[in-house]
Amino acid sequence: MGKEIPAEKSLNLIRGRLCDPSFIFGPLSASSDSNYSKLKFIVSTSITEGCNNSILLLGPRGSGKAAVLDLVVGDLLEQFPDSVSVIRLNGLLHSDDNCAFKEIARQLCMEHHLLFSKMASFDENSHFIIAMLRECGLAHKTIIFVLDEFDMFAQGKQRLLYSLLDAMQSVTSQAVVIGISSRLDADQLLEKRVRSRFSHRKILFLPPSRDELDGLLEHLLSLPADSSFPSGYVSRFNDKIKNITSDRRFKDILKTFFNAHSTVNSFLKFIFCAVSLMNLESGLLSLENFKAALSRMQRQPKLEAVRDCSVLELYLLVCMRRLEVKEQNSYNFISVMKEYKAIHDSFQTSDYYAQNVCIRGFEHLRERQVICYAENRGQSQTGEYRPMKLLISASELHQGMRSHACCPAILLKLLDH
Amino acid sequence: MPTNAAGASLSSYKYFVTTGTVKFESLESAAYEIPRKRKSRSDSAAAVNLMSGNSLSSPKKLKSHRPCFVSNPRISVKEVMEILRDPVNLVVQKLSDCLGSKSNWNPRDEEQMRAVKEALHVSKAPSTIVCREDEHIRIFGFVKGCIDQQKAGSLYICGCPGTGKSLSMEKVVQQVGDWSTQAGLPPVDTLSVNCTSLTKTTDIFSKILGEIKPGKNANTNSSPLQHLQSLFSQKQASSSSRMMLIIADEMDYLITKNRGVLYDLFLLTTLPFSRCILIGVANAIDLADRFLPKLKSLTCKPMVITFRAYSKDQILRILQERLMVLSYVAFQPKALELCARKVAAASGDMRKALCVCRSALEILEMEVRRSAGPESQGPTTDDSVVRMDHMAAALSKTFKSPVVETIQSLPQHQQIIICAATKAFRGSKKDTTVGELNMLYLEICKSWMISPAGITEFTNMCTVLNDQGILKFGQARGDKPKRVSLRVDESDITFALQEIRFFRNCLV
Repeated sequence: MGKEIPAEKSLNLIRGRLCDPSFIFGPLSASSDSNYSKLKFIVSTSITEGCNNSILLLGPRGSGKAAVLDLVVGDLLEQFPDSVSVIRLNGLLHSDDNCAFKEIARQLCMEHHLLFSKMASFDENSHFIIAMLRECGLAHKTIIFVLDEFDMFAQGKQRLLYSLLDAMQSVTSQAVVIGISSRLDADQLLEKRVRSRFSHRKILFLPPSRDELDGLLEHLLSLPADSSFPSGYVSRFNDKIKNITSDRRFKDILKTFFNAHSTVNSFLKFIFCAVSLMNLESGLLSLENFKAALSRMQRQPKLEAVRDCSVLELYLLVCMRRLEVKEQNSYNFISVMKEYKAIHDSFQTSDYYAQNVCIRGFEHLRERQVICYAENRGQSQTGEYRPMKLLISASELHQGMRSHACCPAILLKLLDH
Repeated sequence: MPTNAAGASLSSYKYFVTTGTVKFESLESAAYEIPRKRKSRSDSAAAVNLMSGNSLSSPKKLKSHRPCFVSNPRISVKEVMEILRDPVNLVVQKLSDCLGSKSNWNPRDEEQMRAVKEALHVSKAPSTIVCREDEHIRIFGFVKGCIDQQKAGSLYICGCPGTGKSLSMEKVVQQVGDWSTQAGLPPVDTLSVNCTSLTKTTDIFSKILGEIKPGKNANTNSSPLQHLQSLFSQKQASSSSRMMLIIADEMDYLITKNRGVLYDLFLLTTLPFSRCILIGVANAIDLADRFLPKLKSLTCKPMVITFRAYSKDQILRILQERLMVLSYVAFQPKALELCARKVAAASGDMRKALCVCRSALEILEMEVRRSAGPESQGPTTDDSVVRMDHMAAALSKTFKSPVVETIQSLPQHQQIIICAATKAFRGSKKDTTVGELNMLYLEICKSWMISPAGITEFTNMCTVLNDQGILKFGQARGDKPKRVSLRVDESDITFALQEIRFFRNCLV
């Protein structure tokens, strides 16, 4: 019993760390060249100098744009407690202009403890916003507009973007507009008037380098040497981590992983998966955990479906594939049965089943989404006459059959020729 | 340098000369304001008004009936003529005077940095507008003509974004107000509408009606347009015969399917007792021709004034004007020239030029902060101004698209997908399905002996690339038949992947 408790505690600690963006992006943002410092510099100079600015944060999903922005905003709210207010909009929710103006007015009212009326019209909302911008400008309070999914705001007439960016062209307002987008060409989507008013500052979130990731791994997985853990356990845990990370096989695992995923978020998911597989008896991580996590992240559902098929179902799949190879692109159950019979006749296989058993096999395959009806129209026809098609490719079928537990050799031969 | 003929040039030269001197004077008076970090907005707005008000108040001395934006009562006409005999060197001399007499610039001084950034900010309108004298003269002449003859008229101003249209309109409105008070005419009502703020296009008529008859209850029988039309078709009582200047910004938002609103707006000026001077501002050069062909037959086609994109010299001059208010030199002249040249070649958009300059200033600031340490507080030599390399870095940050960097930092499988797509779309084919792209991908993987990713992961990676704007998905049910096309130029991809031998051979 005494051994389990530190293991669980360490598991909780590491999992908690993995879900805390400030813990993760803290070391990644430490250098003065990082995106965090660049963003902080731009926004804080805008606040202290009272000039307007607009920035775009670009990068693939999961690269930490919103997390770094939250860190920066948190720091600024601490540094300038009374002169910053934040308005957040999301392109998926507020891309309609009316909706967006209403939301901005509502958030402004909440920030400044005013009463918000749901019945206010578009005109009234926009007058209110302009008046508030002017008031805040006079009072030297900066408003930070955070526009998530910026490319969604660039659809339609772009009235919201035009109004916001135009308000920033006048000397009476003091605002910073920060757009977050995963599309690299987000500023090309803007109309030329809006693009002219946008100040073309872009911060690109590139995936971190290998050294940074190694450092991050160490930082995440090392247990602190404090009194809540038995001291021997901590040193054993940390030594085991060091052994694993210096192992060549671990480096291979990481290399395979990074060939397909490069963002910080996917890396964190991978570590989370590995850590969750930790053996609670020993309380230490092992290389097998990481291997298992990698195979979990590289699951191929269709392959698993084929691997779980019965032999009859494999026969049916092979028949369908052969029909396809023979350039017979539309086939139904009856033609598959004909092919099945032809195979049985020419090769004298032992697996020959009656038609109603085969129909059940077909239904199983359809449920697992390995095959499906080719069109949704002919609903009136019975299932046997409707055209069908395969949902997996030949190579997947091949691979699945080879890894099948008891696939008859004749099937592989039939598929190949 | 102004290049037009004698009449216009005289006033423009005068304006240029006197600008410099007035600025210096006002600098000394305004200098004490700069050190205050948080001067309130109302103060600065009042100061600007005061300055321009002073400068506009004394054009009476000059005989020409074209207005001068600023004039210094202390320089007599004779002196002006003398200086004018040597106009070419005037700019250079003034500039070198400035350079010689300026105190030193210390990039570590926050106040100085802030003042420079403020001078270069887009929202700060300079008190005089350079390089648009021609257009000003034409617009003001038109408005004056309408007011003099008490006739209505329409004018259409077009130009690319960032060419100073809205700024010029504000100045013209100010000018008209001042001129009409001096000439003793009744004041001109002004209505400035930004058409993006209208919920419905017909709201513009209610706004105009609101200006003409403020506070009058809306007549529910007729729409505002009909009311206006009836108003302008009857002779007015002389007490209410004030001209009205209507400025419609971003007029292309008023374009509806049947162009009704636009036609009605322009036709308002043709009614016999109309008192509106309509000035429409938009980007399209041929808005009047394309959307309002009927106006030509009714002979009320509006006069068109085009604000051309700024040339390199104009951009340079505007930047220098803005920086002349400061008492120190923050930019190397060659750096400014590089910026002007690049921006003029790209779009001629002034906002972009200002943005690039501020960006270069920030690069200098970060460099100075990073190297802060044992260096003494005293200003150093050329190191502390914005040099060509800062400007070049700022230009590349603004103009370069992030596509190349992103492609270089993608994981290997996604790069292979992009490579496969490039090869597929080399010929005339511009899109293909996900299934076919998968086949190409598997071929490439097989030829390099890399184990390929399964179809699910392949589709996921294609979705990631679609999110980033590198590939484009069409609409389809299911994953396999979805059409895929490339959004990025092939040359960008080849450039990005040229370092890696695999891709270089593949894309050859």
